[in-house]
Amino acid sequence: MFKLDRKLIITASTAATLAVITAGCMGGSTTTGSTEVNGSPTIDGGMTYPVQNNMTGPYYVNTNTLKGGYSNGRVPTANELAAWDKDVMPDGTGLPEGSGSVEDGEELYESLCVSCHGDFGSGGGGYPSLSKGNAVDMQKTLTNNRWKDPEADGPVRVFGSYWPQVSTLYWYIKDGMPHPKSKTLSDDDTYALTAYILNINEFEIDGEEVDDEYVLDREKLLKVKMPNVDGFEPNIDGPDALKRVRAYYSTPANFGAQNLNKGAERCMTDCQKKSVTTRRIKNGGIKDFLPPMTDERTLPKEEEAIDVKSVYADNCAMCHGNGVGPGFANTADWSAYTAKGMDKVYASAIHGTDGGMPPKGGSTLSDADFKSVVDYLINGK
Amino acid sequence: MDNKKSNQEIGRRDFFKKAAMSVTAIAGTSLISSNARADDPAIMHHVPWGQVWGDPVTKNRYGVPSKYEHNVLRRNTKLLASGNFRASIAVTPIQESMGIITPNGLFFSRSHGGVAHVDPAEYRLMIHGLVEKPIVLTLEQLKRYPSVTRTHFIECPANGGQEWRGPQFNSVQFAKGFMSCAEWTGVYLKTILEDLGLKPEAQWMLAEGSDNSEMGRTIPIDKVLDDAMIVWGQNGEALRPEQGYPVRIILPGWEGNLMVKWLKRLEFAAEPWYCKEETSKYTALKPTGKAIQHFYANEVNSTVTSPSPEIDWKDLKDGDLVEIEGLAWSGMGTISGVDISLDGGRNYTEARLKGLVLPKSWTRWSYMHTYKKGDVLQLTSRAMDDAGYIQPTIDQEVGVMGVESVYHRNAVETWEVNAKGEVNHVQIRS
Repeated sequence: MFKLDRKLIITASTAATLAVITAGCMGGSTTTGSTEVNGSPTIDGGMTYPVQNNMTGPYYVNTNTLKGGYSNGRVPTANELAAWDKDVMPDGTGLPEGSGSVEDGEELYESLCVSCHGDFGSGGGGYPSLSKGNAVDMQKTLTNNRWKDPEADGPVRVFGSYWPQVSTLYWYIKDGMPHPKSKTLSDDDTYALTAYILNINEFEIDGEEVDDEYVLDREKLLKVKMPNVDGFEPNIDGPDALKRVRAYYSTPANFGAQNLNKGAERCMTDCQKKSVTTRRIKNGGIKDFLPPMTDERTLPKEEEAIDVKSVYADNCAMCHGNGVGPGFANTADWSAYTAKGMDKVYASAIHGTDGGMPPKGGSTLSDADFKSVVDYLINGK
Repeated sequence: MDNKKSNQEIGRRDFFKKAAMSVTAIAGTSLISSNARADDPAIMHHVPWGQVWGDPVTKNRYGVPSKYEHNVLRRNTKLLASGNFRASIAVTPIQESMGIITPNGLFFSRSHGGVAHVDPAEYRLMIHGLVEKPIVLTLEQLKRYPSVTRTHFIECPANGGQEWRGPQFNSVQFAKGFMSCAEWTGVYLKTILEDLGLKPEAQWMLAEGSDNSEMGRTIPIDKVLDDAMIVWGQNGEALRPEQGYPVRIILPGWEGNLMVKWLKRLEFAAEPWYCKEETSKYTALKPTGKAIQHFYANEVNSTVTSPSPEIDWKDLKDGDLVEIEGLAWSGMGTISGVDISLDGGRNYTEARLKGLVLPKSWTRWSYMHTYKKGDVLQLTSRAMDDAGYIQPTIDQEVGVMGVESVYHRNAVETWEVNAKGEVNHVQIRS
């Protein structure tokens, strides 16, 4: 199946290498069944859908439409490619030159990141922690498992202890952060924030501690050794990667699956040990469903005025209740803002500010409704 | 699948005989009219909607459900929400689902930076890297390719992932509703690649979204050349914004997270990318301390949807014949059968598949049961697929994966029906 597709798609100029592909990569030349290529299960541990007699599974396939000959679209310009091809790979492909200090990073963090990720990356508001201490020590918790004791310490999966590649950190900050205003950080700012996160995870680069004075650049970033770089399976690097991936998923025991392929009968009677017990939900379980669970089919209630208290709790308290920005019902905090006129306060609240206030606090309320939330935040009523 | 004929089945031949017998047996019950009973006002009165004009056809140019259905909703919980519900999930009320298609407004919604609203006029798809001819397509140009339409489920691999250390959600919507199923329309990616010329050293493809998080994932070339689709249609209309309007990728059966929405860019390379969502998340930590990465296909799975914690049996009478109904699905192939246990997985009997049985799609199944008032039942379903996989027991799965892996939990699930007919989520394990 794969071989057939490859043959169709690889261009004439590269056809000479086709033999290498089919022998080395695609595992052989004959399809012996829909679940196997040359006797080995295919990559998802299961199925591919070869087109046989113009059918794939129950679907008819017009193979003529798969043959190509379309001239849709155009070739992108070099500038267009450069504008969009911004990904950063572990070998440094796509990683720009630049530099930034831990000191600058901390300043940026305090103004742009702390409202979601907490002091020193401790997390909060449902957003991930960025550090739980020394990365090398925390990596050792990854064998923790709460199977026997649900109250025991679990594994720590934060950037320092868990992520396999540092390139991911730079790339994600540059592309996706800060969340409500992404793609606004310069390369140097991104280096600075990366340096700060390495600092709070207590990294060393090339034997040197990433301390408060450290200045990170491209060359140094590429020397970062992640403690958990070998913590993942299957191995996906190198030219034989897909061969290894296929082999991994052809062994159900690797991923906790049960396969009856070898003609085994499934158990229909007396399938359990006598020792099994029934575990029930403790303390009612998780029930904070929004909206509450019901299957009632009565007419909906008339639309009520918005509940400013719950909007405040969901959208505003994370910062305004935690010392970030003017505090809840704190006249002293607010007087500097309200002195400039409520119109300006409302406008900042609705459109967001450079100081990190997201538009409407991230809510989706109408302008009028959000103004009532602002009133509540300032006056406490 | 050739089910054994069970005593619950009523063959066509037997129908009149049984019906005749039943008349005497049930005389005096609600099926027989009796002047001793109060008349039903819903019948005896003119109903208000029957005596006035209804809405003109000009109302609701895009139709909406009956206002009485206002509680059939996607729901969320703060446990699974970052901050302001942007990196978050709202899950499908599968207890209310009918057939194998999820209506677009109820299709589960998961995003990593909020739902983007893409202007189709400014939409571009760029395909580049290890291809002979890179291209950029507008939406109109993309739609010029010959389309195919396929029914596939999408499942978040964290579906059921809150239950590793014990049952937590007393709800089928939250325990199993991180998934939906729809009919997708688009073009096979291999059809587009036909004209671009994939270079032989290409092993991986990066798919990247245009949302604020630029959600990206690395996809192996095997899947790209098998059944990967670039889609713009969902159940007969344009994709909903929550599903990536105007364009997303569909990798039938694989982790929902891989099916990048608001699709912007496809790049081919010899080495993988290590995107945030394939390292920090969507990796399954085992007790060995190693985590499975690139954990592609959602394994064979099933659940009972009725009864369920949301749909109890409190109203059933002794001797009622009732349908136990559920869903089965596999990212590795087509559902080949479903077994149902009434005693928590000690003994199984075959259930019946209902309606269309399609590859990598929801498949409905059912089993007719005669309810005995006061019985305590533990309903456990167990599905199989034509790739040879069968759902593991909790002990089997946890034995390999431990309880910290979050993702790809597909062990059998159990609802306990108590003597009152209430239904609760339980787990049967050593």
